Amino acid sequence: MKILVLNCGSSSIKYQLFNIESNQVLAKGIAEKIGLKGSFLKYDRYDGDSVKLAGEILDHQTGIEYILGILTSDKHGCIKSLNEIDAVGHRVVHGEEKFNSSVLITSEVIQKMEQCIELAPLHNPPNLKGIYAVKNLLPDILQAGVFDTAFHQTMQKYAFLYALPYSLYEKYRIRKYGFHGTSHRYVSARACEILNVNMKDKNIITCHLGNGSSIAAIKNGKSIDTSMGMTPVEGLIMGTRCGDVDAGALTYIMHKEEIDTTALNTLMNKHSGVLGISGVSSDMRDIEDAAYRKGNERAKLALQMFNYRIKKYIGSYAAAMGGLDILIFTGGIGENGTDIREEICKNLDFMGIEIDTAKNKETAAKEAIISKPKSRVTVLVVPTNEELVIAKDTYEIITKLKKKEKQ
Amino acid sequence: MAEKLEDFAISKKLTTKSSMLNKVGIVGCGSMGQDIAILVSGKGIEVIFIEKTDEKVKESMKNIADKLDEMINRWGLTSGEKRAILTRISGSTDFKILKGCGLVIEAIMTKGPVTEIVRAKQDVFKKIESAVSATSVIATNSSAIAISELSTVLDHPERAAGIHFLAPAQTVKVIEVTKSLKTSDEAIKIIEKFAKMIGKTIINVHESPGSLSTRLIITLINEACEIFMEGVGWIEDIDEVLKSGYGLQLGPFELADKIGLDKLLVWMDILYSEFGDRKYKASPVIKRLVRSNHLGRSAGEGFYKYIDGKKEGKLL
Repeated sequence: MKILVLNCGSSSIKYQLFNIESNQVLAKGIAEKIGLKGSFLKYDRYDGDSVKLAGEILDHQTGIEYILGILTSDKHGCIKSLNEIDAVGHRVVHGEEKFNSSVLITSEVIQKMEQCIELAPLHNPPNLKGIYAVKNLLPDILQAGVFDTAFHQTMQKYAFLYALPYSLYEKYRIRKYGFHGTSHRYVSARACEILNVNMKDKNIITCHLGNGSSIAAIKNGKSIDTSMGMTPVEGLIMGTRCGDVDAGALTYIMHKEEIDTTALNTLMNKHSGVLGISGVSSDMRDIEDAAYRKGNERAKLALQMFNYRIKKYIGSYAAAMGGLDILIFTGGIGENGTDIREEICKNLDFMGIEIDTAKNKETAAKEAIISKPKSRVTVLVVPTNEELVIAKDTYEIITKLKKKEKQ
Repeated sequence: MAEKLEDFAISKKLTTKSSMLNKVGIVGCGSMGQDIAILVSGKGIEVIFIEKTDEKVKESMKNIADKLDEMINRWGLTSGEKRAILTRISGSTDFKILKGCGLVIEAIMTKGPVTEIVRAKQDVFKKIESAVSATSVIATNSSAIAISELSTVLDHPERAAGIHFLAPAQTVKVIEVTKSLKTSDEAIKIIEKFAKMIGKTIINVHESPGSLSTRLIITLINEACEIFMEGVGWIEDIDEVLKSGYGLQLGPFELADKIGLDKLLVWMDILYSEFGDRKYKASPVIKRLVRSNHLGRSAGEGFYKYIDGKKEGKLL
């Protein structure tokens, strides 16, 4: 069975075509700068064939048409006809309280997804555009939606509510939702697979550290808390997002700088984080370069703040779960940032975290245990694979549906 | 031969598909034209603007860059976004480059008698029509001049309508849209699509000089001048009472300075000549300030004094 996975952003579409039985990626790539000048399509086939094509991509539908076109082309294609694609799986950022698992996309589901737009005005509309486009182009194909928020729907009310007037939760569903759920779910399950342990009796902390970062506490296989909130701005310090900050400071800034909510939103989401502190870049590689090789003090400070915040969350989540068995690093920084991992784990031996510095140093973008054998907490690096989860969920949904139809 | 993305279209229909509003034209790139250019480009649409001379084109581009820098300083934009916005804006003195624009907005600043203003805008309308396709919409940002009158010079007056942006165009959520007697439903559909793309809500206005906003604001400012001249209250007090008491962001005198007193005088003259009602007749205070070249915030002096655009005390 072949499943096409689409991750539609505001001006890009990431795609992967899976042969699900063999777990093989037949082709993958990205359509970038959709609706903008300089748009292009990148395509990599399993056998190394690779091409980058520039041209006008006016909207998501055009982008998906080109993706389908290249997948079936004589020259670069990996399938002969579109009929070979059995289903399409979509990443959907916000599922509100309406979705606690992946779903088959129906008209009713689309309607519910449209209702979620208000809570994720930047992310959900492009996700939906992808769904509409596939509906237009391949009207008979089955589609599934996999939500970033779904994995965290197991959080208890005392963990997900903000201590604001309860009426605001009732009126607008103001609460913590959490994001990166697909990634936290994948790496926690994969780590247990690697360690050959049962997820249902383990306390796990997953650190998804990338340009956007979040951390999750997973007890007995269920997310009980996570750092991102109602929006992806809460929690850890990120590339350009501030993470946790005193709300009182924000209203004070608005008053002093005479700015409105739109500018405040841009300030928190685009001018802050390690970029805002260092003034160097939002890319951790540039910050590390500036800090370690050029002695830039603000870059050093940004790194210290980034690591300190994560350490604080690890401590609090271990307390929330009543202990910790497994600590996982994933995401671009989590998978490659050897110094950052070492710094985060430093002085945590009191809670059973003892990192093997040599093993940690040699681990980049690959699965590995980086803690000492005697460490009470097993520390792992597990590269995330959200697309695989989306493909597998889609496969499961479609298989169940087909079985039902046969009965 | 190098491969093209178009070669991989799964239907031929795709290669000929084009968005009507891939490109928007602006004629007259003064302060409002610049704001519209930033707003439209910020939404990912290419903007072509026309100015009278090469120097003015350069000046407008510089002002746009300065405005974007100010937005960065005020935390509303990142430098990456600034670069993206600038790459989508280009200026010229040649109307021919408007070819391919699905919508062109006239936003020229003209002074003088009403007849001259109308003639200048009509001349621009004709030049736009000669450059664009038969289906392109031609709009004016003016709220004071009737669109029916402006569009009489067009071969296809049904494509003309009024799209009035209120300052600051970036943040004001509404645009006033005016149909002439001849404006077609197709033209309105394109304007509705445009409004959606730039995130604005349309306020439909029946054609009448001054639309809603200009007519109301003129009478408010004129009445404030009357109160001041009668000695009932002082400038700052009048501004303060309206801001604190009625929730206006700016008082009438601050607003007059922001709009520009010369511009305000033109609006008042037009509305007075249209309606003949004394409530639109420009207050002597405004005329006096304009004669003294105290034109408002951009000139550094109006009802108040300004340093670097910030109010630093009263003038009168």
